[in-house]
Amino acid sequence: MSRRPMNAIGRSAWRRDGVAKVTGAETYASDVVLPRMWHARVLRSPYAHARIESIDTSGAEALGAVCLTFADVPKVKYNERIVSTPPYLYRDRYVLADKARHVGEAIAAVAAPTEALAERALRALKVEYEVLEPLVEPARAMRPGAEPIHATVRLADAEVPIEGNIAVARTIELGDVGAGFAEAAVVLEREYVTSRIYHAQMETKSVVCRPEPDGGITVWPTTQSIHNTRQLLGEIYGLPLHKVNVKRVAIGGTFGSSIQMNSVIPICVGLALKARRPVKLVTTREEDLYDHVRYQTTIGLRLGVTRDGRLTAGHMRVLADIGGHNIQAYPLLSVMAGWWASLYRLPAMKYEGRAVYTNKTPSCAMQGFGNPQVSFAVESLMDELAEALAMDPIEFKLRNYVGLGGTFWGQGPSVQSIIRSDGAPELLRVGAEKIGWSARPAAGSATGRYRRGVGMARGFHTSSAGAPKPGEVIDYTGALVKINEDGSVDVVHAMMDHGGGTLDAIAKIVAEELGVPADRVGISPVDTRTTVYDVVTHATRGVYAGGAAAQRAARRAKAILLDYATRVLGIEADALVIEPDAALGQGVIHCPAVPDKRITVGALAKLCQTNSWGSIAAVESLRPVHCPPAFVTYFVEVEVDTETGAVTTTRAAIGSDCGTVVNPDLARGQLEGGLSKGAGYALYEDARWDAESGELLSRGFWIDSKVPAMSESPPLAGLETFFATTWEPTGPFGAKGIGEAATNPCAAAYANALANALGIRFRELPITPEKILAALQAAR
Amino acid sequence: MLTFTNSHLLLGELDYVEPASVDEACALLAEHAGEARLLAGGTDLLVQLKLERAEARCLIGMRRLPELRRITGEDGLVLGAAATIRSIARSALVRGRYAALQEACEAFSTLQVMVMGTVGGNVCNASPAADTVPALLAFDARAGLRGRHGERAVPLDELFVGPGRTVLHADEMLESLRLAPVSAGTGSAFLKLGRVAADIAKVSVAVRLDREGEHIRDCRVALGAVAPTPVRSGEAERALRGQAPSAALVQDAARAAADEIRPITDVRSTAAYRRHAAGVLVQDAIRRAWARAGGREIR
Repeated sequence: MSRRPMNAIGRSAWRRDGVAKVTGAETYASDVVLPRMWHARVLRSPYAHARIESIDTSGAEALGAVCLTFADVPKVKYNERIVSTPPYLYRDRYVLADKARHVGEAIAAVAAPTEALAERALRALKVEYEVLEPLVEPARAMRPGAEPIHATVRLADAEVPIEGNIAVARTIELGDVGAGFAEAAVVLEREYVTSRIYHAQMETKSVVCRPEPDGGITVWPTTQSIHNTRQLLGEIYGLPLHKVNVKRVAIGGTFGSSIQMNSVIPICVGLALKARRPVKLVTTREEDLYDHVRYQTTIGLRLGVTRDGRLTAGHMRVLADIGGHNIQAYPLLSVMAGWWASLYRLPAMKYEGRAVYTNKTPSCAMQGFGNPQVSFAVESLMDELAEALAMDPIEFKLRNYVGLGGTFWGQGPSVQSIIRSDGAPELLRVGAEKIGWSARPAAGSATGRYRRGVGMARGFHTSSAGAPKPGEVIDYTGALVKINEDGSVDVVHAMMDHGGGTLDAIAKIVAEELGVPADRVGISPVDTRTTVYDVVTHATRGVYAGGAAAQRAARRAKAILLDYATRVLGIEADALVIEPDAALGQGVIHCPAVPDKRITVGALAKLCQTNSWGSIAAVESLRPVHCPPAFVTYFVEVEVDTETGAVTTTRAAIGSDCGTVVNPDLARGQLEGGLSKGAGYALYEDARWDAESGELLSRGFWIDSKVPAMSESPPLAGLETFFATTWEPTGPFGAKGIGEAATNPCAAAYANALANALGIRFRELPITPEKILAALQAAR
Repeated sequence: MLTFTNSHLLLGELDYVEPASVDEACALLAEHAGEARLLAGGTDLLVQLKLERAEARCLIGMRRLPELRRITGEDGLVLGAAATIRSIARSALVRGRYAALQEACEAFSTLQVMVMGTVGGNVCNASPAADTVPALLAFDARAGLRGRHGERAVPLDELFVGPGRTVLHADEMLESLRLAPVSAGTGSAFLKLGRVAADIAKVSVAVRLDREGEHIRDCRVALGAVAPTPVRSGEAERALRGQAPSAALVQDAARAAADEIRPITDVRSTAAYRRHAAGVLVQDAIRRAWARAGGREIR
C-alpha cells in the first residue's frame, strides 16, 4: 500500500458544519417547523410494572386533541435496532405498550395545536392500571414464579416463550478450561459491578412527521440511521419504502442512544397519520432519562497465569440487566465475549452470559457497547495479577495481548478478522514516558492526606462490523460522488455524523482520492430516497466503512473524469494525476512527463457539460470484510483527598492507534471527550433506581444526574493525547476508527490509579467519594 | 407514584409586570395575594414553575430596578438583592475582605447560572444548600426587607424557617443584604463539596475569624446542606472564641460542628458522609481563614 504525501488527510481544518453549529443555524429535528403542524406529548407509566386495564380518551378529545392508544397502533412487534440479522433479532415491543414494563414506558400519546394544550390533554387521559409486583432487581426477576415481564417475544416468524425473565443467554467455550486452570500458578477470581448510566447526549430524542398526499410519510427524526428508521416505519405501518422518506437532520450527540429507531418516532407517525397533519414530538429531558441507559453488568472473572506471566485460562460470567425491553441483549452478550477474547490470548476460555429482563429503563448500546464493562473487569484483574506476579503491568500485558497477526473479534464470534496494524506497543511505550510510569509509587506506599497514584489500562474498539462472511450483524454502506460543473464535488452519503466529524472526514477522503482541494468537497443534505443504504453509525465504523465507500465511489468518478481528460489532453488516463492547487481552488489534471498538458478539474467538468458529454458521477456500495481494532491506551494520575474521598484527575496521557489520523484536532477531541465520558463512568455518574418503586432516585431530573464537565478535566498542561504511527492496510488511506475506543479502558485506568494511590481495589462503579472514604475507614 | 413533570414546558398562563420601584413591587405582591412571584435571574424560579414545584399567576420582573443590583461598601458591605452572583464574585469590594463570599460565588454552579442568578434569589429560594448563605451568615448578614407596611431588618440566621421557607410576608421582598464590616485581622474561607463542580453542595462550610494577636477574638462557623436550613454551629464558635488556635482546638471545633448538624441521606450523598466531610471542611476552612487573618500556621 502506497503512502504518498497527502493533501487533505492529516491536516486540522475547520469542519464543514462548524459555523452552523456554533451560531445556532444548524437544523436539528426539534428545529423543524412545518405549516399546520401540531405538537405531541406522550403519557408515560408511573408504575414499573402494571397491566393497562383501560384508557379513557374522552377528556383529551374534548379539548380538541387527537389521541393514540394501544388500540390504534398496528399489532406489529418490533425491535428498534435492526442491525442484527433476522435469526438474532428479538422483537418485544409495540408502538405503544400493551403493558407497562418500566417507569416511563409510553402508554398513550396526544397531539394538539400547541405543546401546552397537548400536555393538558395528556393530563385529561384516564388510565386504569392493575399494578404488578415491580421486578426491579435481577435477582427478583429471576426468582422462580416471578411474573413474566414478557411471556413471549417474537424471533424470526415465531413467538418464543421467555423463561425466568431471562431474555437471552449465550455460552462460548474454547479449549480445555479445566486443564488451563490446572496449569496456572496463580488464579484470581473477582466480581465487578458496573452501573447503568444515562447517555447524557445533548439533544433529547425528537421527531417530526408529515403525512403526504400520496399516503406516504416524510420524517425528520433524531436517529443514527435514516435507512433503518425508514425500514421499520415501512414494516410497522405497512407502507412501501418508496413512500417512507426519512430526512437526515443534524443530531445533537448520541453516544449510542439513538442506535435504534427511537420509540417516539413510530408514536409520532401514528399521531400524524391519525391527525392527518404534521406532528412534532420533542421529548423532555425527564422523559429522555427514562428512555435509555448503558447496560448494567455484573461480571465474575477468573484468570489463571503461569509464574512467568502467561495466561492459561479464563472464565467469565456476565449477568446483564437489560431493563424492560430487549434492544440488543444477544449481540451484547456476543460482543462482550469478543472484547474479552480479543484483549489477551487465552488458550482456554469459558464465557457464560445471561441477560435478564427487569422493570427498569431499557438498556441500549452506549459508547463501547459492552467494552467499557469488559475492559473495567479485565484490565483491573490484569493489574492485580501483575501485582501478584510482581511484574510490571505493561510487561505482563504486552506478553499476553492480542496483536499483529492475531484474531480480533470485532462484533462477537461471527465477526472476526486478522490484525494487520498494531500500535499497542508504541502507545504503551510513549504513554509510559509521558506519564512517568517508571517513577510511579509502589501501590499503597503513599502517605499523607493527599495521595497520588498512576494507573494504566489498555484496550480498543472495533472499526466496523466487517467480516469475510455474513454473520449475525449487518454491515454495509454506500456513497454517491458527483463532480460538479465547476470542479467542486458533492458527496451523497446516508451516514449520520454524531458530532465527531465523521462526514467531514469522509469529505476529506474524497478530496484526497480525487486530488481536489478539501474545501471544494461538500456533504449533501440527504434522505432515504436519494441515498443508497447505510446500516447505522455505530461500531466505530464511520470513517473506516463510510469513508471507504466514499473513496471507492470517488475512485470510479475519477476514472470517468480521467477518460474525459484523455479526450481533451491526448494523454493516456493511466499517465495522468490530479493534484490540488490551493491558489486556483481546483484540482489540476496533468502528466508529470508532459508539463504543457494540463487542465483543471473545473475546466474539464465544464467541457463535459457544454459538450453534452455527460455527468461525472459514481455510486458504490461497500461491504467491509475486515474489522481492525483501533487500539487505545490510558494513563491517568489521580490525587485522592483521604479525608473526604474526593478524587482529582491531575494528569492523563491518552494514546490512540486509529491508523492514519484524518483530522488531528477532531481526533484529539475524541480522546478528550472519551476521557470525560470515561471519568463520568468511573467516578461520578451514579444513576440509581429505587428497588421498590422502580423509579430513578434522580426522579428523572437532570440536576441530580450529574456528569463531569470542564471543571473535572485535568488541567490542560496535564492532558496529553497522542497517536501511534500506524497504517491500516484495509482502511481508507490507512485509517481505522477512534470514537468508542476513545473511552473504553478509561474506568479501569481510574480503578488502577486508585489502587496505586491507596492500595485499595474498587470493583464497583462509580467509585464515589462516599465509597472511597468508607474503604479507607475500613482499612484503617 | 411518579408524576411526570418536566423542565421543558411552562404550562400555566402567567402575567408579567416590571415595576419601576420597590414600593410598586410590594404593592403588586400584595395585590396578587400570594399568587405573584418575584423574578430575578430565574435560575431557580423558572425551573420550579416548569417542574410544578412552585405556582404563580404573575411574575414581577426586577429589570427596571437597577438600584437592586448595586454593591456598595458603606459601613461593611451592602449587596442589592438583584446583584448577580458573577458581579459579586468580581467586585473589588468583595475581593480579599469578604473572601468566603467571593469563594462561595465562584463555587456557584456554572458560568451561565452565575451570570443570571442573584444573591437575593439564592437567599429567598431558601435551599439548605444555598451556596452564598453560609458565607453571608459568616459575615452576620442582615436581610433588609421591605413591604407595604415599611421596612425591617432580619438577621439572616432568623430568616429561614425550613427548606424553601422564610419569614417573609406575602407582600414583602428582600431589598438588600448588609454584611458587617471587617477589620485588618479578619480572615474567612468557604469550602464546598459537590458531586461535580457544577453542583448543589453535598456539604458546604464558611468560616470567619477575627484575629487579635495569637487569639481568635470572634468567629462564625456556618454550614450548608447539613440541616433543614443553612446553620451556624454555635458549639464550634464557642470552642474557638477567645482561644489561640492549635491542631487540637481546630479538631475540637470541627467535632462540635459535626455533632451539632442534622444531615440526611439523599440522592446527592449520605448522612454519614456529610457529617464526616463537614468536620473535615470546618477544619480546612478554619486553617485557611486563620492564615488569611495573618495568623501563624496552626500546629
